[in-house]
Amino acid sequence: MGFFTRTKEHTPCTVEISHKFESLHAHVRFNNGAVIHPGDEVQVQGPEIMAPFGEIVTEERDAIILRASTIERLWTKATGDLEVMELCEFSFSEEVTL
Amino acid sequence: MNMHSADATTAEEALAIQETIDSDMATEIAMQDTLLTPRFYTTDFDELDAIDVSHIRDEWDPLIDRMVSDPNKGHFKKNADWDEVDWDGMDPQLKKEFIDFLISSCTAEFSGCVLYKEMKRRGSNEEITQLFQLMARDEARHAGFINDALREAGVAVNLGFLTQKKKYTYFRPKFIYYATYLSEKIGYARYITIFRHLEQNPQYRFHPIFKWFEEWCNDEFAHGEAFALLMKSDPKLTRGVNVLWIKFFLTAVYATMYIRDHQRPAFHEALGVDTDWYAHEVFTKTSKLSEQIFPITLDIDNPRWEAGLKRLQKANVDLADAKKQGRKVAQLGASIRAGLAFVSLFTIPSKKHAVPAKTRLEPAY
Ligand SMILES: [Fe+2]
Ligand SMILES: [Fe+2]
Repeated sequence: MGFFTRTKEHTPCTVEISHKFESLHAHVRFNNGAVIHPGDEVQVQGPEIMAPFGEIVTEERDAIILRASTIERLWTKATGDLEVMELCEFSFSEEVTL
Repeated sequence: MNMHSADATTAEEALAIQETIDSDMATEIAMQDTLLTPRFYTTDFDELDAIDVSHIRDEWDPLIDRMVSDPNKGHFKKNADWDEVDWDGMDPQLKKEFIDFLISSCTAEFSGCVLYKEMKRRGSNEEITQLFQLMARDEARHAGFINDALREAGVAVNLGFLTQKKKYTYFRPKFIYYATYLSEKIGYARYITIFRHLEQNPQYRFHPIFKWFEEWCNDEFAHGEAFALLMKSDPKLTRGVNVLWIKFFLTAVYATMYIRDHQRPAFHEALGVDTDWYAHEVFTKTSKLSEQIFPITLDIDNPRWEAGLKRLQKANVDLADAKKQGRKVAQLGASIRAGLAFVSLFTIPSKKHAVPAKTRLEPAY
């Protein structure tokens, strides 16, 4: 991680998508214990993972973590709170008129 | 598993199989695809790990024990109460607004699940990770239940967002507590208000999902209780300058709800609910509940409150129109009006009160 530069990391990950009646969820776990910091970007590689209704799909994939530079990390930490309204979106849609 | 009609041993069987395949395909094709786009957050996980619940154990343990016992485990199942919905006969505007209601509820439940799961994964304080695991379980269950209602309406939820690039935003833990506590409690108040109203006026119950709201909102109630206790574990969180943050979150959450609910007039009309009455009712309940931990409540009966909300809502509609038409000056004007309306709401003197020594409440509405 540089002060001004971003770095790219590859990490194997396990993706679990549940499209079941009992549970709708989707999670990514980094197999090597990599930790995400403010401002980092994550992209799971490969085609879209779809779980048919009623099934849980688990796949081993490669993820790219684009590490934020130190300055970006500080910036995200300092300004992230401004986006806090997102947290208040409990049952809301973006559209003003439907 | 799809059986091919060639595998059938009798003609009847072959026909039956072909029919299932056809209807499956028809559903797949007709399904309108909705991509769920939850947000991703990080926070100060060391701070979360440092939470010490030992001095509130008398309230903490019973709450966790009950969540572990999972009283709603069997609740989210469709049974005979789930009556047939006439989607085709539904007024198109109502259908549009109702589906929007379901999709945004599903996204909210799902985002809660993602957030709680992340906190569970990253934390190392076992009491805290256990709590977040339990809440993630509930939210995933809620999301699954709404998802099923959406499928019936021909809307397929797409979870393909994982393979898209996503950025992690940072929030301080206390902001997560304030916002999430309020989301859970206002969620409870919203669900129970609709449920009680429909209990009295069943002729307005145009979809069976409302019958499930009572037990459902008890989950949200319990989640709110957990956040109340997290805040109680560190008294600084509800003192001094943080009281201003609490006021900010109360104002922001209430105002957002007011604006968004007014975007679904047909939905509320079909429920036989006056949107202004509903907002006031939900604010009253949420305020009463939040006295368990917040030292202030908003003065929602002050005439400036209602007037400010109306101006904010109007400015918001104007802003959207101006954006659509690309009118920059009108856009700026509407933004300023919205900002002023918010400031006016925020500066209404709040009501102060003493916070009770015992925090825990039971759902009583
Ligand atoms: Fe929920
Ligand atoms: Fe919840």
